[in-house]
Formats: sequence, structure tokens, C-alpha cells
Amino acid sequence: MSDQACEAKPAAQLAAASPEPRFEPKIVAFLCNWCTYTGADLAGTSRIQYPPNVRIIRLMCSGSVDPTYVLKPLLDGADGVLIGGCHPGDCHYQSGNYKARRRTIALKEILRSAGIDETRVWLRWISASEGQRFADTVTEMTEFLREKGPNPMRTEWAV
Amino acid sequence: MQRLSLTLMGDTMMEQKPRIGVYVCHCGVNIAAVVDVERVARAAAELPGVVVARDNTYMCSDPGQALIKQDIREHGLNRVVVASCSPRMHERTFRAVAQQEGVNPYQVEMANIREQCSWVHRDKGRATEKAGLLISSAVAKATRLEPLEQREVDVTPGVVIIGGGVAGMTVALDVANTGLPAYLVERQKSLGGRVAELNRTFPSLQPVSELLPPLIARVQDHPNVTVFLRSCVSQVEGYIGNFEVEISGYGETGTPVGGDPGSKSDAPRAGLSVGAIIVATGYDVFDPDRTPELGYRDYPNVITSLEMEERLIRGDLTVDGRSPERVAFVKCVGSRDARVGNSHCSRVCCMYTAKQSRLVREMLPEADVTVFYIDVRAFGKGGEEFYDEARSQGVRYRRGNVSEIYRKRSAPGVDGGLAPHAGAGPVVLVAEDTLLGQPIEFEADLVVLAVGMEPRKDAGVIQQLLKLPRSADGFFLEAHPKLRPVDTAMDGIFLAGCCQGPKDIADTVTQAKAAASSALIPLIRGSVPVESASAVVNEELCAGCAMCVDVCPYDAPTIANLWRTSRINPVLCKGCGACAVTCPSSAIRLQHFTAAQVLAQVDALVQ
Amino acid sequence: MALKTQKLTEQLELFGCIQCGKCTGGCPVARKTTLNMRTLIYHMLVDADMDVDAHQELWDCTACFTCVERCPKDVEPAELIISLRGELVESGRVPETLGTALMGIFRQGNPSGMARQDRELWAEGMEESLERAKGLASHAGSAQEECELLYFVGCIPSYDQRIQPVARALLRTFERAGLDPGTLGTRESCCGNEVRRMGEAGLFGMLVEENGELLRGVGARQLVTTSPHCFNTFRKEYGLDGMEVLHYTQLLARLIEQGELTFPEPSEARPGEHRTVTYHDPCFLGKQNQIYDEPRAILEAIPGLKLVEMDRRRERSLCCEGGGGRMWVEGTNLQERLAFQRVQEAAETGADTLAVACPFCLLTLEDAVKVQGLDEELCVMDIMELVDIALEEDLDP
Repeated sequence: MSDQACEAKPAAQLAAASPEPRFEPKIVAFLCNWCTYTGADLAGTSRIQYPPNVRIIRLMCSGSVDPTYVLKPLLDGADGVLIGGCHPGDCHYQSGNYKARRRTIALKEILRSAGIDETRVWLRWISASEGQRFADTVTEMTEFLREKGPNPMRTEWAV
Repeated sequence: MQRLSLTLMGDTMMEQKPRIGVYVCHCGVNIAAVVDVERVARAAAELPGVVVARDNTYMCSDPGQALIKQDIREHGLNRVVVASCSPRMHERTFRAVAQQEGVNPYQVEMANIREQCSWVHRDKGRATEKAGLLISSAVAKATRLEPLEQREVDVTPGVVIIGGGVAGMTVALDVANTGLPAYLVERQKSLGGRVAELNRTFPSLQPVSELLPPLIARVQDHPNVTVFLRSCVSQVEGYIGNFEVEISGYGETGTPVGGDPGSKSDAPRAGLSVGAIIVATGYDVFDPDRTPELGYRDYPNVITSLEMEERLIRGDLTVDGRSPERVAFVKCVGSRDARVGNSHCSRVCCMYTAKQSRLVREMLPEADVTVFYIDVRAFGKGGEEFYDEARSQGVRYRRGNVSEIYRKRSAPGVDGGLAPHAGAGPVVLVAEDTLLGQPIEFEADLVVLAVGMEPRKDAGVIQQLLKLPRSADGFFLEAHPKLRPVDTAMDGIFLAGCCQGPKDIADTVTQAKAAASSALIPLIRGSVPVESASAVVNEELCAGCAMCVDVCPYDAPTIANLWRTSRINPVLCKGCGACAVTCPSSAIRLQHFTAAQVLAQVDALVQ
Repeated sequence: MALKTQKLTEQLELFGCIQCGKCTGGCPVARKTTLNMRTLIYHMLVDADMDVDAHQELWDCTACFTCVERCPKDVEPAELIISLRGELVESGRVPETLGTALMGIFRQGNPSGMARQDRELWAEGMEESLERAKGLASHAGSAQEECELLYFVGCIPSYDQRIQPVARALLRTFERAGLDPGTLGTRESCCGNEVRRMGEAGLFGMLVEENGELLRGVGARQLVTTSPHCFNTFRKEYGLDGMEVLHYTQLLARLIEQGELTFPEPSEARPGEHRTVTYHDPCFLGKQNQIYDEPRAILEAIPGLKLVEMDRRRERSLCCEGGGGRMWVEGTNLQERLAFQRVQEAAETGADTLAVACPFCLLTLEDAVKVQGLDEELCVMDIMELVDIALEEDLDP
């Protein structure tokens, strides 16, 4: 695993240095309908630009993100997974965001022990009014994953 | 139970083979200028299950809708995918289109290729590629969509209105006049809100004393209005049509009324069952302590516009017993100012300054009245004419944002003493007259700071209580700025007045009336649709561990049947999905967002 | 010299400007010279080119940053002036005296062009105290020589005979409070605060690199300065992570509050001094770093001292006209010095002492007191000197 990670790094650096097309990470985002998804819409209505690397799946609550939703894209070759939920205290369903937080902490633990780089999974609180924050988060995550290089975990697993 | 109702919805095939129609919208040039819509439509036609794929200038237009209807009839479509704007915008529209042609509305899926694609990316190639992926994700989900029953629940008539200012009182009267009960909750010991502190209104110059007391009397005397003074809403449960609202005393246990945010409330005073809630909590006036360069705390003759209202009511403009010879107004104090966190325009200051300056000219015909401004925004009916009138009466307008106010030692009226600022005497406004291009020092006996409006410091209390989002300016966020301006993200909760953003009295009343009629729609109709995308239990897989019971915030699951398995009450379930993730036997499925559907979307997106 | 405006306009985000005039309105020099930053910004917004040479008033700016502090749209007008000065510097069109100051910094590490090896002369008579400083200077970078508190003396306190006593007072006071500060000795160079504001970005970059390396090498936890100017650039422009950058007034106020520095109560035997003091907020300490309370807390702690305030104080303090390189260039209007006006304001309070906390303010205001013929009524002193006097009797009963 760590060997793979080491191999991946120079490749990424090479991609950044050469005029070849740079590495474009694939990010799957699971966004809460009430906050981050609406925030992403606001980024749109405000015409705030961000990299097209993120592909959004709308869910009703960050608390409904099943661990398999995160695992499957990572095993299928996505380079990162973003979970967007409401700020603490603001959950539309009272406590779904706290559930998401607890679950994500546990999931990251599992990812680490399975040898999957857990820093590829981001959980962020972004409200319906934070279009800029959404765009910034996607930009930051894209840069972060570009630096990190392609996800070495691409397998033929089925979940 | 679910299956029985499906026939009622006109959807006869449970195990239908998917026949999908894909519709890619140009949205004029909003999408088509960035995304190659024809190419993505051609690509969509190749996806499994897709029978027909088209692009069209405006899918939401009548011809666009007719196109979908025609295809449903001609091609026997049983699922529709629309790639256009956010589902928050037009999902209802397209669901209705499908339903009219006998397709279950829950078999419509949208791909958000405008807000989340064409508006946020400039690279046409990559935006087109992303749009294609979003459409294949929507198609993957549509393939697995199941028809759902649309359920209705009865509503509890009645409306709780939070805030007893002009907005809240207007709502209360409109609700009460339909014959339904209105409960008006006000923290202070009397009704009237901020308007009670004003002298006259613009542009009619009608005294507030002619407007407000009759309005208050009508509210208080109305048999259908219950007024709770010195009270606040302390707890809210339920959903549109059926809210349980707890009213508590406010400010009677030693906490000053209108005091610090989250001021302690007394014991519960009433429990109300209502169908809708209207938030009319108003605004805070900007405190010029936060613009120390204007010397508000230092000089008694530098006052706020609200203090000026009070002086106008008293009819006393004297400074140290003398009539001021020069009166200056400073606009945009605490508005249009990113430094103090208020980037917004407060919308009323230009007009009330025109009003106050006119009244000063009337009261003190000898006095020089000068208004320092950045821009004059005299919009609204009669606004520009009122501004014209102010100038024609001799109010001087000088363009320049006052940078500093200080007092000259040599100014008359100041004699000796070690702290010259503590005494009286004219002050000096330091500004640039930007039309002359010259820095100026302008001496004035009385300075009025036209302070703006800002979100209430305690807005967070209502925000958390009702789960209301706020916009970047801190005011409560409407569901859509143009199409749903009084609605919120929370069904059954509406906004009226300045809690949503700065407004004058006329706009406040307009919005209050809009909020009242929007809130009354379900109450008069008698029922509301409830979330169909609820969670269901596969009782054959359920082990009866009750983890779903623990995790549900709404007490929807119970373990009460003969076999000790879980059953979810579809009326109580709000569809958050927490139980489905928690269930160790994967016995719970969140309809419309099932694991199979989501993972199919992942497949399509990662491919 | 025609400057293409577009790139700079975008870089400085001038498009936010609404031409409200709050910058020019509050600009202390706009009232006496032709400097008008609002119109400068307007030209940047609407013209394709700007003839920078035609704007000699650019050298009038004192970098007090009142315009930056007050702009409602987060535009930074003073940064435009610095950039435009940069264009002039780049093409060598600099007032001669300014060029000399920059050359002095480049060659000897100080704007007066005094010899580097003389940088420690300020501490004459305090050689013992400087022992440690010398050790530090020669061993900077080695782990054993780490010190908790590093004292950055600054150019003016090091070389100017009027300000040297302030630095000595500072060192004495720290020792009385049980602190053991080190200095960089002769390796100390100009902090570059004024260099950047004069538009000499290249030299500033060099200073940041060299000083930054030196400072980090010492590994001090706290860095304290005599001058608000050094304090400002170390705090905001050096990226000294993990090092707490303090102006001496902050550290003193803290020591007084924690009871680690106490003043002897006046007694019959030692009546102490009775002074009425007014305090002038330096721009780089007040407006630019919001340090208003600490200097006042120190003054109020000194027995026998009565603090009175001028009308223009704190956020409205009037610039003394010593910043932004103006110590070395006269500007286009010599006659109406702001410092003249300022000392009149101070005198009007009835105070006998005008307290400052900045070497530049001390020099400009003291000069103004003499020119205005106020020296009988008003003396200008650094807070550090007042503290030293109040403590002196404690040392030598």
C-alpha cells in the first residue's frame, strides 16, 4: 500500500511540471438537500467558479450517507469523497449531521486499517447561504487531491 | 398498504421495464452557452433504458412541457429525466407534467446542469463532460425509481406569529379575518415594534400616531387574535399543517425585556397546535459605536436617526438650549460597509433622511440643512418625487462619505477644561466633496447619523428553534428570492418584514400580507401533502433490535406488532434516512433514495 | 512614464471602489497637498494608462493607513500608493533624500547610513546588560543560545541620540521586571517597514529574508520592539509563526497587570513627579494594530501622573507625518505640518507632557513643539521614558 502511494507521488509531480494534461481528480459529493446542496445552487446563481471535478449526488441528509456510499466510489477509482452537511445545531432533521460526524470518524478509522488513505474523505459543514464556502471547499479539495495524485485503490471489487 | 394505492395513482405496472425520456434544457443560453446540449442529448440516447432523448430551448415553457407529454403518450415512457436547473427550482413543475400523463411523479429525476454546472464552469469541454455524467447519473437513478404514493394529512387551523410589530400585526389581522385563530407572540410589554419609535412616515408624512394605535387596537380587539405579551416561543415541534408550539414568558424573571440574546424565559405559558408559523422578528438598529471615527459616543450633538425621530416627536431640536444653525445628515452609517459586517444597503435611510431633512427645514427655516451621501436611492412609489421635494425646499445634498467627526478646540461654546470633547459646541465633519474633488471640513451644530438596519443579534435563537437558514447578510433566507420570497426552506414557516431583509413600512405590509395568504393556503385547503419518500421496513429481514427506534428523531418506528419487528409510521417519518443507515440487517429502505439507487448513481459518476 | 493600469487594478482589486470619498476625506495629507487617492483609484479604473511621474504627490503619503482602515468596501487605497511608488522606484525616479536612505539601508542596514558596527552604541554605559546580546548575535542559530525574549531595538533607537535613551530605558525596565532579553547586536538590520511603504519591494524582500532567517535562528518565543513600525511589519509581513510579536507597550501593560512591575508610591522623601500627560496614538500602533488601551493602562499606572485626552484620539488620532518614508522626504507642502497642528491640540488640553510610543512621533512632535514655541509649556516624551523615571527612585534610594 505505502509503496503504491510512493509510486503515485512522483507521477503527480511529473504531471504538474510537464505541459501534459494535469491530473484531474474525480470527486463524488454527497450533499444534504437542505444546506450544502442549496449552497452549491447558490454558488451557481452567484456564478462563483470552481473546478468541474466534483460530481454531486443529492441526499436528504448527511446522516443518511451509508459507509458503502463512501467505500464504493473509492474502490471504483474516485479520488475523493465529499460529504456536505448542516452546521452543528442547524440540521433539518435535528441531529443527522451529528450522526454523519460520528459515522465519518468511525469510517475513517476503518479506511485507515484497510490501508485506504482516509484523507480522501472530507466531511464539511456548509450552509445554504455559503455558496462561496462550497466553491472554496471544492477548489481546495481538488488542489489537495491533485497534489496527492490518483487514488491507487482502483479495484474490481463489488460492494 | 403502499402497493394498493399505486393503482390509485394511475400507475399500473410495478415491475415495468424502464422506458426513459431524457430532456436537455438550453435554458436560453444559460446552459447552452457552456454545455454542448446537443452532444449530451445524443449521448444520453445511447444510455440503457433511454427511449428518447431531446434538447429544447426551455423545458419549463409550455412547448417544452408539451414535448414531454407527447413523448410519454407516443413512446409509452414511464420515467422522465430532465437535465436543466436545480430540482429546487422546477422539480414540482416536471412532476406535475408527468402526473398529468399518468406517470408517477416520483419517477421523474432531474440532472442539475445549470446551477451546478454551466453557471460555475467556463471550460466548455469539461462542463459538457460533467453534464453528460450528471445525466447518466440521473438516468441510472431513474431506472431504479419506484412509484410512490402521494399522501395528505389534515391540518390544524391556526397560525403562530412571532413578533408584534407592523409585520406581525398585519399577518395576525389577515389570518384572523378568515376566521382562523391567530396567536401573536411579542417579547415586549406592548405591540407596535420599531415603528412605535417613529414620528412620521415617508412619502406621505402621515404621523405614525394616526397609523399605529388604530392598528394595535384592531389586533387587540379582534376575537380571533390572541396576543401574548412579554412572551416568546420556547419550543417548536411538528411539521407543516401540524406544529406544536410552546409559548413561555419572557423577561419577567429579572432579565430586562429586549435584553441580551437568548434572554432566559419563564416557565411555559401555553401550548398551541397550529398549521403554520410566521416569523416577523424584525431587525436591530446599527450601533454607531462600531464606527468610532464618527464620534457618536464623544459628542452629545452627534445623534442617531432614531434619536432624531424621538426629537421630532417632541418637537425639540435644540442643542444646549439653542436652535442649531447648521444641521448635517450622514448617510450609510453601518450600511454598505463591509468593515462593520454590513455590506447590504438598508433601503430606508435615503428616504427617512429626506423626510427628516424636510421636517428640519420646516421647523427651522433659518437653518442650513446638508445631507452627505454616497448615492441617493429614492426608489419606490413616490420616492423620487419626495427627494425632489426635499431639494426644492432647500435641503443641500453633498456627495461624499463623511470620514471623521471631531471638535475644534477653538469652537465657540467651549471654554477651558481639560477634556474639550466632554462639552458642547459645533463639531467638524471631515469629508471629501467628491463632486468638487476637494477635501472639506464642514462645521455643524447637530449631526444625524443615518443608521442602517442589521439582523437581530439574537436571530440565532429563532434560527435554531425553527431550523431556518440565513443568508450571507445574516437575515433569514427566503426559499427563492423571486419565486418564493416569503417561504423558507421549512414548509409551513414563512417570513414577514425586516427579519428577511431591510424594508420600509409599505414593503413590510406587502410582505406580511403575502406571508399570511401563503400560510393560509394549506389551512383553508384543509390538508397538506406529506413526504412520500419515507423509510419502509422489510419485516422479513428485521430482527427487532430497535436501533431504528433509538435513532429516529420523530418516533416514527415502533416495535409493537406480534413478531416484534419494526414498523415505520409513514406520516411521522420525514425521510431523513438515519434509520436506514443504522439498521444492522439492512432491513430499512429509504424510498426514493435507496442504496441501490445511490450506488447506481455512483457507478454512473465514477465509471 | 506611462503605466498600463489594468494589471495593477486587478491585482489590488480596485473594482470594489464606489468612489465614496471616505479615503480622501479622512486622509491627513489630502487637505494640504494635491494627493487624492479616490481620484487616483478612479484614474486606475477608467484610464488605460497613467503617467505616474506626474503624481509627485505620491511621496506625500505617510502610510498612516487611515484610508485602508475606513474604506467600506475593503479596498486598500494606500496599497495603490505603495505600488505606484514602486513604479517610480523601479525606474529610479526617487527623491534624492529617499534614495540616500534606501542606499544606507542596503549598505549599512539603517537609513542614516551609519556604520553597522556602531549599532550597539545606544547601550553605552550598559555594556553588562548587553553581554548576552553579543553572545546571541554571534551564536544566532545555534540551539544552546535560545532566548525567551528577543528585543529588536530598531534603527532610530540604535543611532539617534534623542531616541537612544528610550532604548536604554526599555532595557533597564525589562531587567527590573526580571526579564532577560537578548538582542541581535550589530547583526540587527532595518526591519524594512518603511522600505516597503516607500515602494522598494525588492529591498524589502531581501530584508525579510535575511532578518527572518536571523530571527527564526534565535528561536525566541517573544519578539518585542521599540517602534510600532518594526512591530507592524514583523507582525503582519514576516510570517514569524510561533513567535509572539509585541510592541513594548503590550508587554509592559501585561507586566503591570500581572503585578510583575510595580511603581513605588510617592512619599514625602520621594515626592515623585506630578505630571499632566496627554497621549498621542501612533498610526502604526493604533489605527493599524488597534492597540489603544495598553499605552493608556501604563500611563494610568504611574503614580502622580494624570492622563487627559485630546479630542482626536484612538481611531481619530492625527498622523504626525513621520511614516511611510516621510522621515526622509519632505513632501510637496512643507509649511503646514500636521505635527504643528498636533502639538497645538496637545497644548490645548492643558497637559504639560505629550506622551508618545513611537520614535518617529517623538522626533516629529518634539521638533514641532520647538518650532511652535511651545517648549516652555509642553515636553514630548516616550512612555518608556516616563516609566523609567517613575521607577528610577526605586533603584537608587
